[in-house]
Amino acid sequence: EMNGEPEKMPNEQIVTVFDDPEHFNVKHPLANNWTLWFTKPPSGKGDNWNELLKEVISFDSVEDFWGIYNNITSTSQLALKSDYHLFKTGVRPEWEDPQNKHGGKWAYQFKEKKAVDIDHAWLDVMLGAIGETLEDEDDGEVMGVVVNVRKGFYRIGLWTRTVGKPIPGGGEGSHAGGKGRSTEEGKAILMKIGKNFKKTLQLKDSEQVEFSGHTDSAHAGSTRAKAKFVA
Amino acid sequence: ETAKPVEPAQPTAGMQSLKSARFLQLQSESVTYPEGYKSPNPALNQGGKRQGRNYDKEFLMQFQEVFKEKPSVDWETRVKETIGSDSADSARPQSAR
Repeated sequence: EMNGEPEKMPNEQIVTVFDDPEHFNVKHPLANNWTLWFTKPPSGKGDNWNELLKEVISFDSVEDFWGIYNNITSTSQLALKSDYHLFKTGVRPEWEDPQNKHGGKWAYQFKEKKAVDIDHAWLDVMLGAIGETLEDEDDGEVMGVVVNVRKGFYRIGLWTRTVGKPIPGGGEGSHAGGKGRSTEEGKAILMKIGKNFKKTLQLKDSEQVEFSGHTDSAHAGSTRAKAKFVA
Repeated sequence: ETAKPVEPAQPTAGMQSLKSARFLQLQSESVTYPEGYKSPNPALNQGGKRQGRNYDKEFLMQFQEVFKEKPSVDWETRVKETIGSDSADSARPQSAR
């Protein structure tokens, strides 16, 4: 039976995937479990969103991530109107999800599709998410990252739990959405995350990432909602 | 009496290792990586709830060429069902509509 969790033996020799990619006995845990989702392009036959948004796989180690990444369609090969979403397990990549509905997103649109290596950019953002380098430990904001493939552009987004303000039922503490985190602190944390996001995407200083709240976008009926912050 | 069933595909050694490997205890175990491989940046991992599970890009990128095992024997079918039939085609030009 290969599925058992072997007890750690005192003299067990640690064999990493670098020592032997076929016979390793340890793997590198991620701080969070992640789920990869895919949005299929609409067929044009009135299919609904729920049928188009599919869970692909969940994972919790560095090794699992690379097994998936090395064996899945790259973003540059996806059909128009496709999306990949990489979200913390248990959070649906939709703004209606209870964990997203008071939040927002940092986003950058690559308008010159031929000028960007989108596979590289998307990989860098995923590595920032799973390696936990997009936010500090106690920020508690990052929900997931997304890439949209469209006719005129690629867009990469980073979704946050809040828009820098306390959220209903967010409690008294100083965590994301709690009353103990002031609006100034909340905004400063989002700005820092925006700068990390921009750095991770390797954008120039002159290229701006924009933050907007999900409900602002929903009410505007499009993604043209006014950006609340830029970095 | 019945037709001989098709032999199911067997998981590879790498797939089995991925399943049976335990998580490294990154804060208490010291790992010596083979020569040429870097450890995660220790500055990212000063204590805390993440238990040493912060990884910089340079560390993570080292796995790209090392671990290429599919997640499961039925992976290609799953990708095809989820992502669509043209998922495996690489150089198909897209028709802009």
